[in-house]
Amino acid sequence: MTERGHIPESRQREKPRADLQWIGKSMKRVEDPRLLVGKGIYADDINEPEMAHAAVLRSPHAHARIVSIDVSKAQELPGVLCAMTGADAAKVCDPLPTWASPPVLQAVIADDRVRHVGEAVAAVAAVDRYIAEDACDLIEVEYEPLPPVVDPEEALTSTGDAVLHPERGDTNIGLERKLTFGPVEEDFAAADLVIERRIRWPRSGGQPLETVGAVASFDDGAGRFTIQCNTSMYNYCGWMIASTLRVAPHKLNIVPTLAGGSFGSKMFVHKVPVLAAVLARAVGRPVKFMEDRIDNTTSCDNHASDRVYYAKLALKRDGTLLSLKTRIIDDYGAYLQFGVGQHGNALSQCVGPYRINSVEVDLAAVLTNKCQQGAYRGFGSEVANFVIERLVDAAADELGIDRIALRRQNFIQPDQFPYLIPTGNMYDSGNYQAVLDETLKLADLEGWRAKQAEARKEGRYIGIGVATCQERSVFSATEFWMWNLEPGVEWTSSPDGVSVKIDPTGKAFVTLHSPFWGNSPETVAAQVLAEQLTIDPADIEITYSDTDQGLNSTGPGGSRFTVMVTGAIVGAAGKIREKLLRIAAHLMEADVRDLTLQDGAVHVKGVLDMKMSIAELADKAHYYRLSMPEDLDLTSGLDATYVYDHPVTTLPDPDERHMGIFYPIMGHSCHIPVVEVDVETGQVHFLHYAAVHDCGTMVNPMTLEGHIRGGTVNGIGTALFEEFSYDEAGQLTTALWTDYLIPTIKESPADIVVGHVETPSPFTEYGVKGGGEGGRMGGPPAIAAAIEDALKPLGVTIDSLPLPPSKLRALIRDAQARAA
Amino acid sequence: MERETISVTVNGRAYERAVEPRRLLSDFLREDLRLTGTHVGCEHGVCGSCTVMMDGVTARSCLTFAVMADGAEIETIEGLGSVEAMHPVQQAFWEKHGLQCGFCTPGMLMTAVELLKANPDPSVDDIRDAISGNLCRCTGYQTIVESIQYAAKLMREDGP
Amino acid sequence: MKPARFRYLRAASVNDALQALAENPDAQILAGGQSLIAMMNLRLVKPACLIDINRISNIGYIDEDGDGVAIGALARHNDVKHSPLIRERCPLLTEAYESIAHHTVRNRGTLGGNLCHADPSSETPAVMVATGATLMLQSLRGQREVGAEDFFLGTYETARRQDEMLTEIRLPGRRTDGWAFAEISNRHGDFAIAVIATTLRIEDGRCEAARVVASGVGEHAARLEPAEEALIGGPIDDARLDAAAAAAAGAVDPHSDSHADAAYRRDAIAALTRRTVRRAAARCD
Repeated sequence: MTERGHIPESRQREKPRADLQWIGKSMKRVEDPRLLVGKGIYADDINEPEMAHAAVLRSPHAHARIVSIDVSKAQELPGVLCAMTGADAAKVCDPLPTWASPPVLQAVIADDRVRHVGEAVAAVAAVDRYIAEDACDLIEVEYEPLPPVVDPEEALTSTGDAVLHPERGDTNIGLERKLTFGPVEEDFAAADLVIERRIRWPRSGGQPLETVGAVASFDDGAGRFTIQCNTSMYNYCGWMIASTLRVAPHKLNIVPTLAGGSFGSKMFVHKVPVLAAVLARAVGRPVKFMEDRIDNTTSCDNHASDRVYYAKLALKRDGTLLSLKTRIIDDYGAYLQFGVGQHGNALSQCVGPYRINSVEVDLAAVLTNKCQQGAYRGFGSEVANFVIERLVDAAADELGIDRIALRRQNFIQPDQFPYLIPTGNMYDSGNYQAVLDETLKLADLEGWRAKQAEARKEGRYIGIGVATCQERSVFSATEFWMWNLEPGVEWTSSPDGVSVKIDPTGKAFVTLHSPFWGNSPETVAAQVLAEQLTIDPADIEITYSDTDQGLNSTGPGGSRFTVMVTGAIVGAAGKIREKLLRIAAHLMEADVRDLTLQDGAVHVKGVLDMKMSIAELADKAHYYRLSMPEDLDLTSGLDATYVYDHPVTTLPDPDERHMGIFYPIMGHSCHIPVVEVDVETGQVHFLHYAAVHDCGTMVNPMTLEGHIRGGTVNGIGTALFEEFSYDEAGQLTTALWTDYLIPTIKESPADIVVGHVETPSPFTEYGVKGGGEGGRMGGPPAIAAAIEDALKPLGVTIDSLPLPPSKLRALIRDAQARAA
Repeated sequence: MERETISVTVNGRAYERAVEPRRLLSDFLREDLRLTGTHVGCEHGVCGSCTVMMDGVTARSCLTFAVMADGAEIETIEGLGSVEAMHPVQQAFWEKHGLQCGFCTPGMLMTAVELLKANPDPSVDDIRDAISGNLCRCTGYQTIVESIQYAAKLMREDGP
Repeated sequence: MKPARFRYLRAASVNDALQALAENPDAQILAGGQSLIAMMNLRLVKPACLIDINRISNIGYIDEDGDGVAIGALARHNDVKHSPLIRERCPLLTEAYESIAHHTVRNRGTLGGNLCHADPSSETPAVMVATGATLMLQSLRGQREVGAEDFFLGTYETARRQDEMLTEIRLPGRRTDGWAFAEISNRHGDFAIAVIATTLRIEDGRCEAARVVASGVGEHAARLEPAEEALIGGPIDDARLDAAAAAAAGAVDPHSDSHADAAYRRDAIAALTRRTVRRAAARCD
């Protein structure tokens, strides 16, 4: 045990190999046919007999007491089945689940007080959504406005009426504490130079095309809820919803639907399923509640990180990075669903790919009159990436060292892995030089530098940005609670399970215990099982369990899925393979050690034609018990379940010298965009974009590239356009998609050139790493650097996002005024 | 409640239904006819998920009242092709990974079909223009462009 | 996000529509519906009665009208965008359509509906003012012509009276040689942050006539006369471009919103003025 903790032995069973048949192939997706013909069933596609539809009346105020509320006119409207207030809801359900400790209480419908624009004030169930909305218009609410808290730094000193949750004390600070890892003060004392920046990361969100929805019903006879919902983590912690609904956990079945995109935003949705369930029980009919876009933008579970950083990077004159200190004020909005898990997450890679000896993080999570935070592609680490990359660029400029050279100088070297960073997290493997070199090649850096110089002569501003970013994958549950002041939920498991069976005819069935939310779960499962059993993926059928049938499975999120389900399939397939070999050995009167599984059959090594196909063996396994050896464990059939635990984690140090290993499967990326900035209008155009990712062994390069490109365009949105913007009164001015600006194809580069480096993980099966979030984690710092490079002649510094034309033009205008 | 009786042909099949004038074509298709392949993303005309074909050209079904479609020929994703017999555009999106979550896909496909009908050999810029009103949050669009180019090729090869 | 109830009337003819307008003072015309229905879905507007004019035949025309063009009330944006007649006689409008909405919206949306909607950041009103278009308004009381400059009165506000229907848009023949349209929006196809539509006539190297029309920076599209004055009377050289750009920026009093602040809109107007005038002048050569 060192100051930074210890590294457990690897439990890897399947080594990375060159001779894989299915893993590594760009196989067409298993999921696609039904989606392409309009037969995928998403939440809103569910239709139950007698199903009612819900709509929600939302607060027009950022902060107010509810003085009175009258639903009588709504109740009387023909077609209305139920109009429910917060007080009504509080009679039948408890506060929503939270990971924060001490908790921040959140009701499914606000009772005495509203804390953000869009918070639910009443809900209606009616025979159709139109009437439900008509009824909402008839509800009369009297509010007594309270002071809105909008600015996160002002929230640090709120008292009195401006406090959102007075029961937690006379403050809007949800959690504040400082964590120190390593000799920070000594390192700063030894520094020749300290780079200081105030960096502002904007509130954005995943905003998938599909909102959150649920269809709930309550079976009076069984005393049991069924909720069909496009959520995730239901087989991990779905029972928490039962607690909110005041039924025993086995009196709730959560059934997953396809999710039309998530990007983290559907990780563990709570308001929508609880609301649908409460209404369903009240009206005695199934109830659908499908958020409309305004429900979603104003009151979803998933606005993302909204942070102010005061960051300091200490370094030597020769460019050696020493230490990183950050004071962070994070605007969490009105509630803390995942506690400050986003900051647990950010500790996993806050030093980037660099050797930095010590870290101090001083966090204030403030509560303001805005929608709560949740998860969005990066879950807080994308912000840490932006901060470290901006600081390294600033340091290089200050020292007069080339930005790329300074990175190379400080990279963790290939022979230093596995590597523990000061916070205690481990980087399992990597080759950052190789990724950088490959990106430079694809980006044609020298060519663009020449074009840049030419353009400058013509008064055009072209810039090239380089960001070298970490891309952590496979979170452990410790990230959700490591910052908590008081013990609360302190889980250490974050597994994923699968069930596999081979039917009597040799066809394979896989049950996944976590949902499809836009990724490729069926394709991954099919490729890995095909690899394991040497069968054709076309002979594999994939289904999803509900919580009644489910195994402990954390689900997608944190770029977990591919690594975890690969591990689970390897575990389950191993059991099936062992049984196949035993049966084959018995039937062919051979020694198990002489058998091998290939091309869908068990062969006796070296004996031509001595083989039995999986189909033949499956038939025997199912129907010919009396031909089998006498062994109580050798039951009829061919099936196995396997719950794969996180491949490598450790506990946080009790003295908090480190936080343990919690996010160790470490990918890496380098992004090099080339942009042109129109200095008169502040508009940014992409001239080229190269991105190289190292996600270990690739299971499916085609789908991985899809994630990289899609994530990069998410990153472009964050960097240039997207912001949930609240005005001084706490009104969300970008609630509509005419104002919350998701990039169209016209704002996206025509060609994002993607390259790969494969440095396998020594800890996961086949060496696979996750790659779901890297695009959004690498894009923003690279784009900021490119814009800054373009505007170097004007001396513009980028430390705040997003940069739509108006904001960028303001920076240019200021710089021009300074120069004049 | 005032209702209007409308007759529409959807994917070649005739329907007659009484609808409230305010009923959106998207809800009419999805709820009254149970054709849920057409998706609703924003309901205020920005995302293009709900795009259907109306009398041969695309329309945003969330910005169309069902009564406005009285007498019209509507085509939706369900009429395009089946898993056994995919339309070349569907085939191409599958081959070229033109979708991830699949939610924008029906609208994207209908828009692509309209483009390819008018322009059998579109340039990248033509394709980018044509689908600029359809948001996709998953793919970054690049493989969608490749899919449509590939579909154009398939359709030219299969053509008369 | 569903519209409130309304009465629905379907007009079979223009007269039918005018009759319905006269009889239903709470009625609004439903043309393409691409702006109206979005606002109704959001319940930002709740018209009590809609008169659907989409079934009226023969009012989607785009015809020669002397040396100009007459456009019927139901001409869809895409028909106008792709019309060779418009391209020949009013290329400024064709160019503007490069920035207007997206293909599917243009399939249904109508030029007439767009003008009557009078969104302050809409592109087409700027083109109408720049070209000196005339709008024909009809009611049971008769017909009147209103010049585009007098038609747009404020945000979502026009000279059209409640019982009137815009039946035709008349674009004059080209009276100037140079024209250019430019727009800035955060995303392609969005409503504009700033628009400039410019028309110029240059004779013997001297600018004889100019219209510089802005949209997106006030309550409605309007000529920026100080900019026009700065251009007229001499060659379009750098000094005149700078003077016109500065005059244009000074002539607007824009608002701030989530898309851009006022200072940006002023900068954008200056940049767009310079660019459109330069391009328009080049087209005069």
